[in-house]
Formats: sequence, structure tokens, C-alpha cells
Amino acid sequence: MAVLDQKKTKVSDEIPTSSMADIAFLLLIFFLTTTVFPKDKGLAIVLPEEGVTAQVSQKNIMHIIVEPNCTVQIKRGEATNVQTLRAADVQGVWRQAAADNPNLIAAVKTDPDAPYKCMVDVLDALHLAKADKISLQMLEK
Amino acid sequence: MAKRGGFQKRSKASEEIPSSSLADIAFLLLIFFMVTTVFPNDKPRQINWVRAQAAEKISEKQKDILNIWMEKDGTVYINDQEWPMDEVHQVVAPLYASTNRALVISIRGDRDVPYHYMDALQKQLVAAGVVRVVFAAQLERQMQRERR
Repeated sequence: MAVLDQKKTKVSDEIPTSSMADIAFLLLIFFLTTTVFPKDKGLAIVLPEEGVTAQVSQKNIMHIIVEPNCTVQIKRGEATNVQTLRAADVQGVWRQAAADNPNLIAAVKTDPDAPYKCMVDVLDALHLAKADKISLQMLEK
Repeated sequence: MAKRGGFQKRSKASEEIPSSSLADIAFLLLIFFMVTTVFPNDKPRQINWVRAQAAEKISEKQKDILNIWMEKDGTVYINDQEWPMDEVHQVVAPLYASTNRALVISIRGDRDVPYHYMDALQKQLVAAGVVRVVFAAQLERQMQRERR
């Protein structure tokens, strides 16, 4: 039995280091492929070219006036009556109006003192309502 | 002289390229390029973002997007530098021309900036000939708005 006790074990007592680089590379490639960089998000709009003015019939315009307190007044073309509502309600109003008149243009007129977020809220509602003809202006007092 | 052993003697040097240090060399190269690469992005500024439900991803390449930051007091920053409002079109126009008119302007305005600054900025962009503009916003879920 003494012979058996002296027999050396075949298993190495070191951690194998030869495949370490391969493992590191595999980890590297895994994280390279799974990393997603956050893309910028926003509301896209097309600005008019300089000096180009389009004549639009009044009946194809919906005037959306943004007040400094974020309320919205809607005036339709030739009509004189004014609706006052919240920015989020513009979506429903636009959907109804655009169903009646596909050529409708949204003229968003923002008060100079209104915060930017009010205009974005209205723009957001218009985007949600799939409006594509949007004109951004500043309200002239 | 009779043995002529000089020609039969094997060379001690191995015929193979040593491959055990290959991974180390690759790592060194990798670390070198990681350290020396500089991304041309501008630093993000502290603004209160606007939120929008309809915010869509800007599909342009990062190098075709120019960020214009506007802080609460209406100061404009382009590429980490402050610019007076009436010089914005002089800054944007050459950048726009250098990308073959593919540049998209991402306006990153503070949510409380008065609108007349935004209007002035848009007029500057129109003067620079820019057509495509994005009002950068954080995506808002339906639930968040209802809670507000």
C-alpha cells in the first residue's frame, strides 16, 4: 500500500491559462455585438426654404395658437369662433378635421413668451394624429 | 572532412512563427486603438428635456447630426461653444455644405425656454439653408402622460 501512497496524481494543480485569451476574446465579441448605443429621438420637421412663400387658401388652414399657459386656441380658416382646449386634445380635433379635409395645413402659432414645451406638446399631438403639413410660426402680437 | 556533416546539421531555430504571444499582441493593439480613438461628439449639456409620445429615432448616421443646444436663458451652444444667436447661420452653413446638404439639425432645447428664442433659431437655420430639423425629445409613454 505504501507504493500507492507515493503515486503522483495526474491532474495538474494549476488553472489552465492557454485558453484564457480565447475566453477573453469571446467575451469581448459578445459584448461588442450586444451593445446598443441609444439613438437620438425627436420630432422631425421640414423647414421651408428661404424666400419661398406658398399661397394657401384660408379654408385649408387650421390656426393653432399656443398660449403662454399651455392652453391652445383653435381657429379654423374663415370661421371666427375659437375653441380653447388642452394641447393633448389637439390630436382628436386634428383627426376629425383632417378626415373632412385631407389638404388641411396646421399653422402652429406660438406666443413669444410661451415655454418651448407647450409647442412641443402640440407638435407631439399633431405627429400622433399623423399630420404631415405643419407650419411653425411665432404669434404676432 | 569525410563526414560532410555541415550540410545535414539541422537548424536549431523553429520553422514556425511563435503563436503563443499572438493573443497578447492582439490585445495590445486593441487597447492602443481604444485609448487613442476620440469620438467627435459634443458634451451633453444640462437641460430639462421635453417629452413627446411621437418621438421617433433619428435614422441618420451620427456624423450627419448636428446638435444645437439651447439653455433656459436662450443661449445657444454648438459643438461645446457658445454662439450669439445672429451668428448661428454663419456657423451652420459651412457645416451643412461640407456634408453635401445631408446634415440633420437636432435642436435640444430646455423645456422652459421662451418660444421667441426658438423662433429666432429656426429663422437662423432657414437662413443657413437647412431643411431637415428634429426637435429632440425624450420618448414618453402613454401612461406617463395620463399620470401628469
